[in-house]
Amino acid sequence: MSAKPASFRPTMPETIAGVALLLVAVAPIVFDVGNYALGLLVSSLVLAGLGLSWALLGNLGGMVSFGHAAFFGVGAYASALVSARLGLPVVVAVPLGGLVASLSAITMLPTLRLSGPYFALAILAYAQIFRILATEAASITGGAGGLQRYPSLPTILGLDLSSRTGSYLLVLSVVAVFAGVYVAIRRSHVGIALRAIAESEVATRVVGVDSLRLKAWMLLLSAFMAGVFGALNAHVIGFLEPDYAFGGSWSMMPIIAAVFGGYRTVLGPICGAVAIYLFDQLVAKSLIPVGHEILLGVVLAVMVLIAPNGIAGFVGGLLDRPKGGRPHVAT
Amino acid sequence: MFELVLQAVFSGVLVGSVYALVALGLAVAFGAMRIINLAHGELVLLAAYMAYVVEGRFGLNPWAAIPLALVVVVSLSWVIFKAVDRIREHRELNSLILTFAVGIVLTNAILLIFASDVRSTSSPTLQDAISIGDLFAMKGEIVAFCVSLVLMGALWWWLKKSWYGRAVRAVSSNREAAGLMGIDPARIETTAFLIAGALAAFAGVALYTMSVVQPAVGHTFTVKAFIVTVLAGVGSIPGVFLGALLLGVTEALTVTLASSALQELAGMVLFLLVLFFLPNGLFGARARRG
Repeated sequence: MSAKPASFRPTMPETIAGVALLLVAVAPIVFDVGNYALGLLVSSLVLAGLGLSWALLGNLGGMVSFGHAAFFGVGAYASALVSARLGLPVVVAVPLGGLVASLSAITMLPTLRLSGPYFALAILAYAQIFRILATEAASITGGAGGLQRYPSLPTILGLDLSSRTGSYLLVLSVVAVFAGVYVAIRRSHVGIALRAIAESEVATRVVGVDSLRLKAWMLLLSAFMAGVFGALNAHVIGFLEPDYAFGGSWSMMPIIAAVFGGYRTVLGPICGAVAIYLFDQLVAKSLIPVGHEILLGVVLAVMVLIAPNGIAGFVGGLLDRPKGGRPHVAT
Repeated sequence: MFELVLQAVFSGVLVGSVYALVALGLAVAFGAMRIINLAHGELVLLAAYMAYVVEGRFGLNPWAAIPLALVVVVSLSWVIFKAVDRIREHRELNSLILTFAVGIVLTNAILLIFASDVRSTSSPTLQDAISIGDLFAMKGEIVAFCVSLVLMGALWWWLKKSWYGRAVRAVSSNREAAGLMGIDPARIETTAFLIAGALAAFAGVALYTMSVVQPAVGHTFTVKAFIVTVLAGVGSIPGVFLGALLLGVTEALTVTLASSALQELAGMVLFLLVLFFLPNGLFGARARRG
């Protein structure tokens, strides 16, 4: 390991953005926006975490996943089941849910050998398997009838995590921790290698980087993160059924959130998730009660065509643009 | 028991032939442009709903919907092609996301227009049973099977013998070199997408006449088509046909011997097995590894 030790010191704009974001994040608690709004925000943060895990795989691993619902659902069911059946504390069950999601991703590893579009389709097919398994293995999972008798989030240091405020702070912290992990990886020599793979996988292999193994680790990490948020969401809402936990929207929403916000940044997917979720719940659903996803699909298509690097890339492009010149276009 | 298995194999072959049409559409567009159209299943579904409109509104045989389905689906396929063609950055990744978005829009548009109910043909002619020896089939299934065979034969001839077909294969194997030989790659790509749309139109109408459709099943068609291409390996129409029959038969046998809930799972398991043990597919020789 001769690579330069990773630097974790943030730059000035990043510090400002971080502090501003922290203020925005605690504002709902300080100003007491009420339980309904806080509930919406908790859900949007769950989506933010899922979007972050999707973006990590897409940005660092160079893989588009159309099946994150699989990891999300596996994490949710695993955590709910081990806490209910084995009596494990929820604090242990949630990371365990993430681990089981990672384990489920191991069976996906052979698909990494497939080139890009084939991987995307493989994971699309793969996500179906778990929904069917959860429905059919009724003796373990409760089947289509669902699962509802499992512990909710505990009280830690006097803070009741199952309250709206508690859930909000918990999910927010987990999102922050994972964002930190993401940034750390991106700056480490692993991140450099991954960026090189994205440029040219063959060339990177030639200089002795095991690209397949690095991509595999990214897939496992992404699955872990998605599983943890599935688990958190399961304990927040207290009810699971296969069509919900493995629902296609858990594959679709993180993509829209991450692409909208800008999946090549860390903050993009998080802010994108909050914006997209609130738009969906407050605007789209009131306009079109059934089929409101059509608006999200339009948003996604328009973003890919007009601003493929998302709002973050769009804003960044405006800032970076030299006076009178053309915006820098990545090749 | 033996009769049941035989019947399942027979039904599986009939439905598999239509899966082959869906898979060929996906493969033709991919071959020419190296782009997978994730909305392909939704195009098939749209054609099925055109058949539903023609049958329900005008009281005609669903097959009379072919001109309408062709116009609608082929023009939509052209729109998708034009949109994908606009993508410059990270083409492979962004085209997947774009066609995925188109799929979301189509699924929900169908949901908004036609509601979430399950639809199938009510034509007594097509639902009539006919028997071949001890085996039974709906007339609709036999018609769909014959249509699939004819279309596959036509496509095989077109790709193999016609100038256009050769050009498609040339662009598919080397875009630059084909351009230097006086082939306009953009025109070939457009043609391939139009052909893919036409195949989707026929497949959709066929599926409506022999099976049931609802708005949510669009992307299962895409998944099935993908499984078929994995089974087949890339690059041969007979391979796709056999792969599709294998998928159809596997599904039918699962329904007969186990339960209908496991039908989708059977295809996935087949797919994973092939992926683990025969990464180049059952019939393909060309490497697909990245």
